[in-house]
Amino acid sequence: MDETVAEYIRRTVLKIPRDEIKTMLQKWGFLSETQLQTINFHQMKDNISQDVVQCCEDHSASIKQAAVLDIIYNHSYPNKRMWSVYQMNKTEEETDFFDLTDFRKKFKRHLRSALKNVTINFREYENNAIWIRIAWGTPYTKPNQYKTSYVVYHSQTPHAFISPSVLKSNLPLLCQALVVASNYQDIHEMELRSHSLNSLEDMVFKRYSQNFETYCPRPLQESTVAQESAGLRIVQENINEKERIQRVNRDTFGDGPQPKLEFAEYKLETMFTSDPKLEVLDKKEPFRCMVKFHSPHLLESLKSLAPAGMADAPLSPLLTCIPHKARNYFKIREKKGFFPGSFVSP
Amino acid sequence: EDADSQRTAFLLRKQWSLYSVTPLYRFSEAHLRDYSRLLSAFIAAEKKKGLAVEIGGELDIKVAVTSLPDLKGSDRDQAAILVQLSSRSSASPKNSEEKLVWSGWFCCVAGDELSENLPEAFTCLPLFLVNGAESYTAIVGTWFQKTFDCCFRRLSLSPFNLSWMAAMWTGCKVEKPASATELVFSVPRLPHPLHISYAINLEDAQALWDTVQKTPGEITQEEVDVFMDCLYSHFYRHFKIHLSATKLVKVSTAVASAHCDGIIKFRQSQYLTGVLMLLTELAICQIQ
Repeated sequence: MDETVAEYIRRTVLKIPRDEIKTMLQKWGFLSETQLQTINFHQMKDNISQDVVQCCEDHSASIKQAAVLDIIYNHSYPNKRMWSVYQMNKTEEETDFFDLTDFRKKFKRHLRSALKNVTINFREYENNAIWIRIAWGTPYTKPNQYKTSYVVYHSQTPHAFISPSVLKSNLPLLCQALVVASNYQDIHEMELRSHSLNSLEDMVFKRYSQNFETYCPRPLQESTVAQESAGLRIVQENINEKERIQRVNRDTFGDGPQPKLEFAEYKLETMFTSDPKLEVLDKKEPFRCMVKFHSPHLLESLKSLAPAGMADAPLSPLLTCIPHKARNYFKIREKKGFFPGSFVSP
Repeated sequence: EDADSQRTAFLLRKQWSLYSVTPLYRFSEAHLRDYSRLLSAFIAAEKKKGLAVEIGGELDIKVAVTSLPDLKGSDRDQAAILVQLSSRSSASPKNSEEKLVWSGWFCCVAGDELSENLPEAFTCLPLFLVNGAESYTAIVGTWFQKTFDCCFRRLSLSPFNLSWMAAMWTGCKVEKPASATELVFSVPRLPHPLHISYAINLEDAQALWDTVQKTPGEITQEEVDVFMDCLYSHFYRHFKIHLSATKLVKVSTAVASAHCDGIIKFRQSQYLTGVLMLLTELAICQIQ
């Protein structure tokens, strides 16, 4: 067995949490059950990986087979990579019947016509999701198995999720191959990026519980209360306000769990306005800002701001539109001719 | 002035942790060589005791204590004192290169408020800046404390201090292209913590500051408040979030960056003294 393949398998096994190694090897199916029985999965990971490599030697594993193990690992732990979302389109209305064999052939052919040294692997998962692993080489060097790109193409949709390798120059070729193989005309990147692949899929395929896009303020209730119950009235007002905030949050964010995003970025090119009494900046040009929000779970975090008293409810539509617009990069300009408080985002 | 900036260039673009230091008893600029020797011996002794965990067994530590005569405000200030620790492999001292592993400097810029009332035997160097491993900082700090009967305390920067820095440094004229004025806010106590970075194009921020700042050569608290309120309102208008309810933790400008944990980064040598003056003031406040 090639030394580089052995090393690659060893390093891939080392990435897997110890408790998961046996399951993942079983999914891989390259080693027989009898062979797996011979490995002690309770020893140090270093030793486990050596044992695995030893077993693989007996069957002379190739790089293609090793690559499958890598796909299985990335499918279980997709959040280790950053994913961007791409959408393809074509003018014809009819949807072609999707033929996986045809897709694979065209994809490989397109890549190989431009670059001889590539390792390409496919694996089909549930929901018609096709995982594609590509290891890139150059005209003079073998593919670097540690610098891989991943594509998750949902064949019944025009969407693909791409995690490019550090070799960004290969991205256009990759996109072209996708378009050609799937019989579309072109492809563009959506303004949406995250480590959480599942959340991206949820947002793009609208698989989360959605909010109502319009917020209707409920009319204030008249209260006729006597002086001595002023204290009670304040407490009641607080409770009312808390309940209102919860209600509005449910209306704007929906009831279920939010898709998991780590950040949102806004490039602001709107005007600066202020109280004329302050006598400050009155320029007719945009006040250029860049705002970035970061959180381990951004949407849940934003949802908790109003109840914590740090924001109004409803929160700005610039933030609440993130899931249903399926984007987390925005450029905001002033809407011309309408109320100065309204914005347009292209 | 050019020679000035050359000597202090090594201070730029490095992260310095800030401390306030009480006046040093019987410290003399004439004895810097002796201090280098004594501190060196102290470090070697600590190493033998096994207290210096991060120092490699194979490394010899060389200490240099020097003065930086240009780093001060007026002649009434004590010139800055620089302490540098370099390592050299003890196995092959002739072959190996000397590597700077730790720097710390004491300074005082416009520290009259503290120095003018001090008895003769005391030296006023209220600000201490450190770059390097915490373990070395502890050892050097201990030696200074024992030798000069002084006390070190981390200098943290409040949102109030940081707002001043944001306004002040935005107002400084710098060469283009210049970095934006960035404010970083943290909301830690949510179920999922949130960080907000709000960066304003420097030209636009300066245009705003120019209309806010009315008295030439002087900045008032009111002007800083109006400047910050304007920025907060602009943000609120877009996102309906009250930045004033969050914690301002970092300010980053073309002149310098400052973090609430007491970390500073100088970016422009022409404003080095200005920033040090502000930090000296904060250190003195903490001491008194």
